[in-house]
Amino acid sequence: MSTFLAWIAVGEAAIILILLVRLALGPTVSDRIVALNTVATQATLALFVYAAVADRSPYLDVALWLASFSYLGTVAWARYLERGLL
Amino acid sequence: MKDVLVVVLAVVGLAFSLSGAVGITRMPDVYCRIQCSTKNVTMGALPLLLAVTIDKGFISPYGARALLIAFLLLVLSPLSSHALARAAYRSGVRMWRGAVVDVPRRRP
Repeated sequence: MSTFLAWIAVGEAAIILILLVRLALGPTVSDRIVALNTVATQATLALFVYAAVADRSPYLDVALWLASFSYLGTVAWARYLERGLL
Repeated sequence: MKDVLVVVLAVVGLAFSLSGAVGITRMPDVYCRIQCSTKNVTMGALPLLLAVTIDKGFISPYGARALLIAFLLLVLSPLSSHALARAAYRSGVRMWRGAVVDVPRRRP
């Protein structure tokens, strides 16, 4: 079961590579922000599953921090796109 | 029985995460891509968190953190997606050519 979860973590991290294509290509800034937001979600999941594989619960706090603060970057970028630097 | 449940939930989560990533790469438009990214959270993240929680037991650090992460993702992901779509629309990002309706433009 541990090796299976390790492969799941690797798969979740490999999905980030697909998203990097959109991050590099994206014609507008908004496309890149969507890709970055999803990269943060995938990193959270990969870290959570890896914490279960490695049996180290401190990594869970990193995943929790990433889940709770990644949205702030998106909201800050959205505010910048809408109103400019304030 | 427990292992079967864990495997099924984890594979479902991984498959939906993969399909969301492919959708973000292949969709023609910012707004379609935002829709794909929300799919990535609801059906990609939640089964995977549930799978790890079932594997490690509900009364454990993993269960508590999975509950918190699921709550945060469910609350904050629609919020940031909505803010991003609104900002993209107001900053003048065009829809793709095949789009059939543009409701905010019709209003005065």
